[in-house]
Amino acid sequence: MNATLSAYEGVVGSAVIRQLRQLGEKLAGTRIVHVNSTREGGGVAEILEWMTPLMSELGLKASWEVIHGSGRFFEITKAIHNGLQGHPVQISGKDWKVYEDVNASNFERLRPVLEEADIVVVHDPQPAHLLKLCDRRKGKWIWRAHIDISRPFRPTWKALRPFVEKYDASIFSMAEFAQPLPHPQFLVPPSIDPLSEKNRDLASVEIEAVRAEYGLDPSRPLLVQISRFDRFKDPVGVVAAYRMVRKVAPVQLVLAGGGATDDPEGKAVLEEVMEAAGNDPDIHVLLLPQDSHKTVNALQRMATVIIQKSTREGFGLTVTEGMWKGKPVIGGDVGGIRLQVVNHHTGFLVNTPEGAALRIRYLLHHQDGIDRMGAIAREFVRENFLLTRHIREYLTLMLVTLRPTQGNVVGV
Amino acid sequence: MTPFEVKDCALLARMSGLPPALNLRELRERIAVCGENVLFHHFCETTLRGTFDNPDYRNDFAVWSKLYLGERVLAERLGILDPYDFPSLAELRAATLEVLDERLSELTMIPWARPGDEFFFMESTTVVFDAGIRITQPSRLGAYIRKMTNGSVYYHFLEARRRPPIGKDDFTAWLMEDEEANRPYIRALASIDFYFHDLPHLRREVGRVLTEAKAAI
Repeated sequence: MNATLSAYEGVVGSAVIRQLRQLGEKLAGTRIVHVNSTREGGGVAEILEWMTPLMSELGLKASWEVIHGSGRFFEITKAIHNGLQGHPVQISGKDWKVYEDVNASNFERLRPVLEEADIVVVHDPQPAHLLKLCDRRKGKWIWRAHIDISRPFRPTWKALRPFVEKYDASIFSMAEFAQPLPHPQFLVPPSIDPLSEKNRDLASVEIEAVRAEYGLDPSRPLLVQISRFDRFKDPVGVVAAYRMVRKVAPVQLVLAGGGATDDPEGKAVLEEVMEAAGNDPDIHVLLLPQDSHKTVNALQRMATVIIQKSTREGFGLTVTEGMWKGKPVIGGDVGGIRLQVVNHHTGFLVNTPEGAALRIRYLLHHQDGIDRMGAIAREFVRENFLLTRHIREYLTLMLVTLRPTQGNVVGV
Repeated sequence: MTPFEVKDCALLARMSGLPPALNLRELRERIAVCGENVLFHHFCETTLRGTFDNPDYRNDFAVWSKLYLGERVLAERLGILDPYDFPSLAELRAATLEVLDERLSELTMIPWARPGDEFFFMESTTVVFDAGIRITQPSRLGAYIRKMTNGSVYYHFLEARRRPPIGKDDFTAWLMEDEEANRPYIRALASIDFYFHDLPHLRREVGRVLTEAKAAI
């Protein structure tokens, strides 16, 4: 069950909700259709799950359509996804034909709703071909890229680009993720839902239950990194940093991430982490099921310091989540972590295990710094990275797209 | 006095279309030719955007010079530029270029950023709309401002200085309809060194000085 807008008033204040309602009034009755490739699982589905009902509550006619495809189609789109993120992949002409055919069969099913929509937002590459098929469209079409395509594998981008360049606009999460395209490219960072299971306030009894479940000592400092077991998240580097700190302070470390048993590389990284951890009872490597939102929430809340020592990162929403729980974050000096972590204000940016160890030791000696940075971090997220800001930017985007602009100002 | 009509605004950032700058000379070249909205975005609209308000510097050029070029001297010189001090963006651009040229003439090597640390030139479109609030009594202005959104504070107190009457915020312009009676409030607003506040802080500060002015009347 999704929260209604008024439920967020207690988190962001009534002025912010009033602003959303006023923007919504200007768009009352506007038909917006989101299209993606899955109803469940993954960040895009999570966003659409709250965004669609909230847009409806604001007076828009919002709907969410999902394209269906064969196993082969999704293997191909996974390869496209990897290619856009820079991995060399082989996608044959026959594969692109499968991609087009699956989009075409979905288009026949979705034709009425897509032709009539005022705004169609197509998420990621899987349904991108729908635009070319919809030659009787009335509205504006926007392509939303949720991934970093700044350094794509060129053959993949060269093949996909003709599908996306005809859109009226595109949206990227950060300037650093964008590719030049012949239409306006808007920037809308992601956000977190403060009332979701992963971020809502927890009663101390709920936190203590998780602490007991994993045998964590409440009397000693706890370092927590939440991320899948991926080399770019540098979990082995976090273990190295922990060992440097452990010589002088009785810290515990939790490395927790989603299941990766079906991912050969994830499995290999997990094995490397287990080997690095050895039989140290204060290193807790937790392979959590995908829906362990409450456990993640509790681990972040019981942490003394949150770590996200990535060597390559997208936006880094686990950083945002940690900051929302009032914790300073020691993060890798990469990607969107830089937008969120500022030295001595919301945490520290680091480049090496040594740097992480240094900053952990600094914080362990400065409880007042932990409290102060944690408070700043939480307010920073409240102002910038909650879903209310995200939905405001989507409403603004619709007004900018549908209404005449004078210079760089739209009066409504 | 005519009622004060509270407006609100929402900002949407987008890529400007200029290639990113990888070094100080490229930064200088792009700033020389970029649109005024790009300049305005990186100097003024930073407060409405979702990044941590860097406590050292208020404009993106200074922050980038320090963090990614390692140019602390340049960052300090750029950081002190107050865009609201200049009567036009053309003059702000000229002053910025002067600072960059001066620094380039002092350096024997052009400082470069690492790949991935380029400066990306952006601009924004702003949607302005009626917030549906009317203020009729100057004595209640502070209380209303405390409840305003960041967008309203930005639009009336910062962005207003770009609109006629140039250099004046909307609250002061309204209070000057009865300048004699509202002088304490006008003086209070003029006392704020506004450029170095983030918006939540600015809202508190404006509310505070107006409340103090009211108490002193």
